[in-house]
Parts: sequence; C-alpha cells; structure tokens
Amino acid sequence: MTITIALSKGRIFEETAPLLAAAGIIPLDDPEKSRKLILDTNQPDIRLIIVRASDVPTYVQYGAADMGIAGKDVLDEHGGVGLYQPLDLQIARCRMMVAVPNGFDYQAAVQRGARLRVATKYVETAREHFARKGVHVNLIKLYGSMELAPLVGLADAIVDLVSSGGTLKANNLVAVEEIAQISSRLVVNQAALKLKRERIQPILDIFEKTVAARS
Amino acid sequence: MTHNWLLPENVEDILPAQAWHIETLRRRLLDMFNVHGYRMIVPPLLEYLPSLLTGTGHDMDTKTFKLVDQLSGKTMGLRADITPQAARIDAHLLNRQGIARLCYAASVVHTLPDGLMKTREPLQIGAELFGHAGIEADAEIQQLMLDALRIAGVSKVHLDLGHVGIFRCLMKHGQVPVELEADLFGALQGKDSAALAELAQKLVPEVREALCLLPKLYGNPAILDDARRQLPAIPEISQALDDLARIAGQLQGKVAHLCIDLAELRGYHYHSGVVFAAYAEGWANAIAQGGRYDEVGRAFGRSRPATGFSMDLRSLCEGLTAPSLPKGILAPYIQDAALQDTIAALRAQGEMVIIDLPGHETQRGEYECDRMLIAQAGQWKTVNI
Repeated sequence: MTITIALSKGRIFEETAPLLAAAGIIPLDDPEKSRKLILDTNQPDIRLIIVRASDVPTYVQYGAADMGIAGKDVLDEHGGVGLYQPLDLQIARCRMMVAVPNGFDYQAAVQRGARLRVATKYVETAREHFARKGVHVNLIKLYGSMELAPLVGLADAIVDLVSSGGTLKANNLVAVEEIAQISSRLVVNQAALKLKRERIQPILDIFEKTVAARS
Repeated sequence: MTHNWLLPENVEDILPAQAWHIETLRRRLLDMFNVHGYRMIVPPLLEYLPSLLTGTGHDMDTKTFKLVDQLSGKTMGLRADITPQAARIDAHLLNRQGIARLCYAASVVHTLPDGLMKTREPLQIGAELFGHAGIEADAEIQQLMLDALRIAGVSKVHLDLGHVGIFRCLMKHGQVPVELEADLFGALQGKDSAALAELAQKLVPEVREALCLLPKLYGNPAILDDARRQLPAIPEISQALDDLARIAGQLQGKVAHLCIDLAELRGYHYHSGVVFAAYAEGWANAIAQGGRYDEVGRAFGRSRPATGFSMDLRSLCEGLTAPSLPKGILAPYIQDAALQDTIAALRAQGEMVIIDLPGHETQRGEYECDRMLIAQAGQWKTVNI
C-alpha cells in the first residue's frame, strides 16, 4: 500500500514541509533543486508528486494521488466535487478580492445594474460571487498579470488573490470587496480515505494537532 | 477531415471481450436475484419528467436528458436512475399489502458524468425491497449486494455505513433554513470541517456542536459509542445509532472492513435511513451503493418502506480483468447432413462453431478458432488447428 501526496512547488511546499516532518515524512530530494516529479521520502511507502497547484484537485479526485494540498482558491475553482477537505492547514493565507482602478466607483457601477467586465483567472469563483450578488458580468479569462486588464481598458474590475496588496498598489488599483479568505487545505480522495485509512488517518491526526498547536 | 465515427464525450462502445464479460455477469446476477425471490422488471427508457424526478428532487434533475413528447406536448425524460421507476411500479402497479422484491438491469443516461472518466451511460443493475420497515430488510439487501460483488469477483470489500436520519433530525431540531441546510450538507459531504464550523456559527449550540462532530464520527463501529455520548440525546438520533449498531453487528465478519461514517449523506434528498456504499481497491469511487428511501413512494400516492442497492456494471467491470473469450471450432461450408448434425450437437454443448464461408480462407485467423471439423473415414472429427 503506497500513499501518494500531491503538492505544488514554492510556497505551499515550503509551508507544508514542517507538517510533513511532524508526521515523520522527509522528502529525499529538494523539489526546488531536483527536476524529478516523483519524490521518494524516508518512508518507503510514502511518495510525493510535484504538480501544478491547480492540478492538485484533479490528481486527488481521480485517485492518482491519495491526498494533496491545495489552496482554497484552487478548490473553489475546481468545485471540490468528490473530494474530502478535512483540514484547514492555515498556511499560504491570503484573500480572494475584487479590485478596481483607483477612482472607479464600484458600488455605483454595481447598483446601476450595469454589466461589469471582470478579468480573472478564477472564472468559476467570480461567476458564483457575482451571481450571488445579482450582478451581471462579462468574464474574461486570463492566465496571469490580471492587474494589467483594467489599466488598458480590457476590464472594469479584476478578481484575484491579494496577500500584501503591493501589486495592486503599484498598479494603482484598490481592493473593494472580499470574496473569500483563502488558505491551504488538505484534500483526500474519498476511496483512499476508506481503503487506506490505517495509513492516512494517523497522518491526518498529526497534521491536525500540529496546526492546532501553531494557532 | 470529418470525424463522423467519433462518439460524444463520456460515451463509449463496449467491445467483444468486455461486452461478454458484462453480459455473463449480468445474467449470473439476475439469476442470483431470482433465486432470492427478486422479480425482474423492465421499466421504460423514457417517461414523463415529473414521475422520473419525483422523490429524488434536484439530485436527478440536472442529470436527466429531457425531450418533448410529440404526442402529448409534455416534457419527457430519459431515466437517470431506475430506483424511482421501481418505486412507482411498487406503489401503483403491484399494490401488494406485504413485501415486494424487485430487480432490474438496464442502461440509464446522464447529461453530466458522475465524475472524471465516468460513463454517461451506466448499466444499472440492482434490487429493491418494498414493504418492510425493519432493519431485517436493510440487512437482506446488504447481503445481496455482498453476494453480487463476490460473484463479480471483487475480493476484500470495504463497506461504509451511514444514516441520513441524524443530519435530518439536527436540521429539524435546529430549525435550520433550507438554503443553509444545503450549504451544511455540501460541507459535510466534503468533510470540510472549516466550512462547517463557519456555516454552523449561528445555530443553537447543541446543533452546532453536533454538526461539527459528525465529520469526526468516522471509523470502526466502536465510534457509535462515542456518538451516543457526544450527540444530543434526541430519540430519532438514538434510534439511528441503534439501527447502525445492529446492522454493523450483523455485517461483522462478512466484509474485509466495516466503517461507520456519520457524515456520509449520499442521496440525502430521497434517502431516509441507513445508507451504505461498497469500495474496493482498484476503483476510485464506490462500486455499489444503496440505502433506505421510505418517502419516495408517497409521491406516487402510496408511502411504502423501501430499501435497495444498485451498481454500474460498466464501471465495475472496468476494474476487473475480462476473461478471454472462449475459442471456437471452424466448420467447412459443405452441404452435408452428417456435418450439420455434428455442428448442431457441438452447439448444443455450448461450443462456438463458425462456418467458414467461401472466399475467406486467408482470413481464418480472425475467427479466433483453435479447432476445426474435418472428415475422417466418413466421420466429422474435431482436431486442433
């Protein structure tokens, strides 16, 4: 019985490493240095796979990984169907926000019932948010540098992750509405939690204790 | 370039070896249901929409293909599930006072696949037991499901048991508004403790604490004792826990792993009591599932206790190795009475005999025969190729 854990490089990996260490799981390679996509660990039956953050839910849903760590932003966008999300790891915290150019009267635009042009990478999240507000939007899917869209007249507003707000400020944008608090979640494949419970549950318990001790 | 021969997404052909595997399994399971007293029904592929969606609520609405009946102008649906059809037949056509046992095996179609790589045309096979409210019926249905999985060749079944009555009772007890109930349901299904805690904030403490406990009440049957201690002492909840304990006791030793999951609410909108799902290594989702749905019949004018299980033979067989097809016997194309008699005798024994039609001598390899009929001293004999 092998346990496969899906992770993305960068911030999520760095902040997850201490949790893994608490559960006695130490990767044998550093993903920032190694080009391997499958990392063995000191525990022969546990391996890590390095995937794009937005692909983590897919790997776990399909059972290609038994568990994974993904941001709430990615999970909301994916829909989370068929996944267990038993634990908020409270790492990689930030907020999903609506931001507009400085001076743009967002509240008035929304109240007038105008059709807002919104550029975002998080199309599902944005659609759901504006639908709940009863605001008509034209969604423009972008893959990066959302901040640029309002500046060049592509969009009226953007929906994006904001952590320090530095990028917004540098591009003369202001956050006007919070959509959700984001942090990383542990996701588990439903069948894996049932079939490999003896191996997975202790890891979950240690993660939970470690997270609780931290906050 | 045109691709006229391509199929829609999540719709596929089943080719000979797999098709034969599915069909032999279908026959063996129906035979098994039959000797247990489950009578086969063949409900229609399409019906008026309201009767298809009754009792199952929104679970099936978006999944059902719809079309307009040219004869009546009414909306019809292609069935996405056979269970409501069985409930309709039990309520209206059979009118038994006592118990009715029914089984079926037929295709259903879904507008949206159940998940990644899932077919939109599952081959649903199942059995339903109407008219008995006690857990004896649930136990019988579960045993039938385990027998079916054994016949299919699934070893080491992991069975998950839940009870939708606990969540339902908490919602009623806490007078939770419908919208919030839907959100809480979603969070529980995902065992999403963080979302659950946030959503339950405004509920009365007793209900809030109970809801936050549910995802943790998961594990071997001993957790039922924890549940009794920790959940509010409401008679419906105690009854649900007692039912689960009795069923768990009966299943002990019959499955490789037995697990209680009080946050499992699959089919919450029409299930009313014990729900269960079978898992096994090699499948990324449940391979068979079922539960109690006492209220569904009411929509058809007659509320009857009901419990049943079903599974998708296509996805079940995908995880199994299809046995290779038996090889046949090649017979020459000759008008000869003795040859015809020999062929008929072989076929009566269940042998596959293929006539070697003239002009295809060079393609004999495609027939998948390992023997052939030849005349030896006036007698037709089977010899190895």
